[in-house]
Amino acid sequence: MKSKISILIVIFLMSIGVSAQIDRSQPPKPGPAPKIALEKPSEFKLKNGLTVMVVENHKLPRVSYSLTIDNDPLANGDKAGVESLIGAMMGNGTTSISKDSFNDEVDFLGANINFSANGAYASGLSKYAERILELMSDAAINPLLTEEEFDKEKAKLIDGLKSSEKSVDAIAGRVGSALSYGKNHPYGELTTEETVNNVTFGDAVSYYESYFNPTKAYLVIIGDVEYKTIKKQIEKYFSKWEKLVNVEYTVPQAAPNVQYTQINFIDMPNAVQSDISLTNNVDLQMKDPDYHAVLIANKILGGGFNSYLNMNLREEHGYTYGARSGVGTDEFASRFSTSVQVRNMVTDSAVVNTIQEIKRIKEEPVEQDALKNAKAKYVGDFVLALESPQTIARYALNIKLNELPSDFYTTYLQKINAVTVEDVMRVSKKYFKTENARIVIVGKGSEVLTNLEKTGIPIQYFDKFANPVDKPVFSKEIPADMTAQKVVDNYIEAIGGMADLEKVKSVVNTANVTIQGAPYKPTAVIKMMSPNKMSMEMSIEGMGTVMKQKFDGTTGYQEQQGNRMPMTEDQIAENKAEMVLFPELSMDMSNLSLESIVPMEGTDAYKIKVTNGDKVSFRFYDVNSGLLVREEATTEAQGQSISTIQEYSDYTEVDGVMMPAVQKITTGPQVITMTSTEFKINEDVTDADFK
Amino acid sequence: MKKCLFILAVMGLVGFSSNAQQVEFEQFDLDNGMHVILHQDNTAPVVTVSVMYHVGAKDENPERTGFAHFFEHLLFEGTKNIGRGEWFTIVSSNGGTNNANTTDDRTYYYEVFPSNNVELGLWMESERLMHPIINQIGVDTQNEVVKEEKRLRVDNSPYGKFLENIKLNMFEKHPYKGTTIGKMEHLDAATLEEFQAFYEKYYVPNNAVLVVAGDINKSEVKKMVKDYFGPIPRGADIVRSFPKEDPITEPMTATAYDSNIQIPAIMAAYRTPSFKDRDAYVLAMISSYLSGGKSSKLYKKIVDEKKMALQVGALDFSQEDYGTYILYGLPLGDTKLEDLVTEIDEEIVKLQTELISERDYEKLQNVFENQFVNSNSSVTGIANSLARYYMLYGDVNLINNEIDIYRSITRAEIQEVANKYLNPNQRLLLEYLPEDKQEN
Repeated sequence: MKSKISILIVIFLMSIGVSAQIDRSQPPKPGPAPKIALEKPSEFKLKNGLTVMVVENHKLPRVSYSLTIDNDPLANGDKAGVESLIGAMMGNGTTSISKDSFNDEVDFLGANINFSANGAYASGLSKYAERILELMSDAAINPLLTEEEFDKEKAKLIDGLKSSEKSVDAIAGRVGSALSYGKNHPYGELTTEETVNNVTFGDAVSYYESYFNPTKAYLVIIGDVEYKTIKKQIEKYFSKWEKLVNVEYTVPQAAPNVQYTQINFIDMPNAVQSDISLTNNVDLQMKDPDYHAVLIANKILGGGFNSYLNMNLREEHGYTYGARSGVGTDEFASRFSTSVQVRNMVTDSAVVNTIQEIKRIKEEPVEQDALKNAKAKYVGDFVLALESPQTIARYALNIKLNELPSDFYTTYLQKINAVTVEDVMRVSKKYFKTENARIVIVGKGSEVLTNLEKTGIPIQYFDKFANPVDKPVFSKEIPADMTAQKVVDNYIEAIGGMADLEKVKSVVNTANVTIQGAPYKPTAVIKMMSPNKMSMEMSIEGMGTVMKQKFDGTTGYQEQQGNRMPMTEDQIAENKAEMVLFPELSMDMSNLSLESIVPMEGTDAYKIKVTNGDKVSFRFYDVNSGLLVREEATTEAQGQSISTIQEYSDYTEVDGVMMPAVQKITTGPQVITMTSTEFKINEDVTDADFK
Repeated sequence: MKKCLFILAVMGLVGFSSNAQQVEFEQFDLDNGMHVILHQDNTAPVVTVSVMYHVGAKDENPERTGFAHFFEHLLFEGTKNIGRGEWFTIVSSNGGTNNANTTDDRTYYYEVFPSNNVELGLWMESERLMHPIINQIGVDTQNEVVKEEKRLRVDNSPYGKFLENIKLNMFEKHPYKGTTIGKMEHLDAATLEEFQAFYEKYYVPNNAVLVVAGDINKSEVKKMVKDYFGPIPRGADIVRSFPKEDPITEPMTATAYDSNIQIPAIMAAYRTPSFKDRDAYVLAMISSYLSGGKSSKLYKKIVDEKKMALQVGALDFSQEDYGTYILYGLPLGDTKLEDLVTEIDEEIVKLQTELISERDYEKLQNVFENQFVNSNSSVTGIANSLARYYMLYGDVNLINNEIDIYRSITRAEIQEVANKYLNPNQRLLLEYLPEDKQEN
């Protein structure tokens, strides 16, 4: 039954007759659309379950055999690596052919035979087609598995793991999967030296016996062979393959997407580029009605050179050699992810721009032209792929493996062309989850973290094996004679000197406030009187005062739109203890310690740790100017710890005292910037202001 | 114009080849000196349009390295009739793909389209050659992109700097001593006028070969080629005279460091002749003999039996003027680099003193036949080979008869070539070590 079923497919390409004269100023119009035909492989099934597909192609005197065992993914847990080991052990001889003879013969034939834990691939000249098939089947059914080979492969695997320990690319890949799918999921589990060491020879053999069997196997043959002949050969060599052990298992659920978008940072001091991947898990398969629309949406977002991401990050900004995105369609778990490698300096900007482009495709209707172009690219890719005989086989196999309707590929272009502007926006919103994404960044923390923190996106830190860790400390060598006391003294000197500062009894600071994401721009009047009186009133034009916060030295409250909430005991105690003006003047030096020198904004800063009872906070002073540039504190609220970062810049002189005109406060995802328009010292403040 | 030159298929003459895989082609010159090769294959509705320019990193001013590769970026920026940033949109909106690449010897551009867009491909390539826009915006943008490419492929990539270090030590006079991507400070210092002058000199039809391959109608395509490329003026002839290297007569050693690796590597590099030289073909066979496949001498002994290395291999880095033959190994466990060298040398000495076995010889013939069959398996690959054989080897027919060269190589010749090139006093030993600089 040598049946060649060809189905003609209508190509949706513009086709206009060729013009007679050339006009350089316009791209030439395409000629008539070529007719394409999609063949179907011939197919049969052996009693043991092996499904065989044959694509005859006599253009070149060669043949390939590809065996796929469609097992559900398996979590190997603390024995991760067993699949690599058994895959490497196989294809090295059979129970009747020694390893040396086997390898020698494969090479002698000029052939390749390779195994993995879930399949095999062989190729070579068609004049040796039968012998190659025979060797492959023998190595699959009767593999020579020896302890010696196992030990050798184990040593190689462990050294191989070591060799990728400093590869930013390799670490980014494995940590991304582990975080997204969870380390218990087969797609997220990590192979480490430890897990490889746990694997025994018996484990490897038992893996083969349990999972390398024909019931869910597909063998695809492509090339210069005759169907009738090859069918007989397959029956001869593969009929004796039997299932050895029956093992049932279920695939664990992939980890859920994160509650809020966050940066997951992995520090690699050797990185000269940051690897950035925004990713979330998706539930999408080829058979889903959304499939074609998602392909198009991804094509527009990051599926090619002229996609949103690449045009922004490469062509507009020159941040990268290339930016792309992709969406998986695996039955068990898949991800949407973007991927870009950028120089350290622009890491934060690349993150912001990546998010911006994803939001763009979710919120703005795509231009008709861009949609048309994306479709044309799919049509073209479909046509171009037909050159390779592998395509026909791949399509047929995909239909089986993904349980697709039999007309999936003949209606493919039709469905691609049916995707609308609305579809693109709808599926972008559904699958590109900028609200629940991990932004996995592998890079050199000492050069990129300060700026990443400014994006306001919460950052969590992980090691190279996806374990959570503390924020890395990047310290330069502290000069031997430097102490916390000196840092504080320098600061006091830098802002005006002890004598002048002591004269300051009150300060009024009038500032414009911007709240990231908020439409209104309030103004704030902040009054402070020594030692600890504080008042802040925020008002919006046309709405009057919208918020008040007061502390008069003994008690205080917060009032929002008429609702007054008195301070709690704890808050009162805290406010009492806090010096509102220049706390450095009266700091207890025994609570301070000089931690390190950290890079910041193109300069370096001394990092001082302040311990007050069980509360720890950090203050950063510019090494060169001596000025306070940053404070970091963590507070616990409703069981969550929230970190607050205050940054001070644009110091200006007021009556001989340096005051920061810009204060930026970052609390979780919220960023508030206060830009002072006026400072008054020892003026316009009375005790009544704090009531 | 030269008359059509057909290659007749020689079928059935050679015992092994019952299936012809003769690549038929036709070639001619335009009046402006551009060479054109057409290859028709209507089995799939796909066409490749490509142009190879005989300009590579070796043609650069030593103070302005990286120019050739920079052009591979710059010449996508736009032309008189193709707006900035539109190149890729035109290609993809017509269902095509495109790319380009640069070596020390040449620069290659190509588009692949469904076959009804062959004219579009010819228009685009003629635009690129005729009147590309080379301006400051393009230069500035691509300068950043190229720097990122270097960070990605070289600085952040494990073992990414090995070739650079080998070339640096192997060549003293010839421009092969530099890298293809060049020095970033040279690119920073380059003026717009310098870029324009480079274009004027090298991007001329008499320094280029155009290939149109795939599902085409030859007479139609010939007319299109003349219409689009004919009006482009011929440029000045290009004279190449690169300094010759003195032979290596003393053993050399060098050390290089890479912060992206944990496992060191040892590399032994030998100077070899141009890829046009018959000896280069022999060396390709030696390379396969030593490290191709699990039964190859080095793999079997060092990786498999003695378990001294994670990996061993031979890289036959062949170029137009010289080649560099590199044997390398990554030690396993506590193996010392010098012990790997000893083991590798032992095998080379065997090659130099004994003939390889009849069976090994037959095996090599099978391997090269398999390679040959696979080398012409896609139209895009055929287009590239046609351009390469014409421009760099000076003989397009090699696409069909290069296999005959391999067939004619004898066991004695293999021994002779091993003796001629692979001696310890003719080589560089490069220790490529992990850099453990704690930067935190």
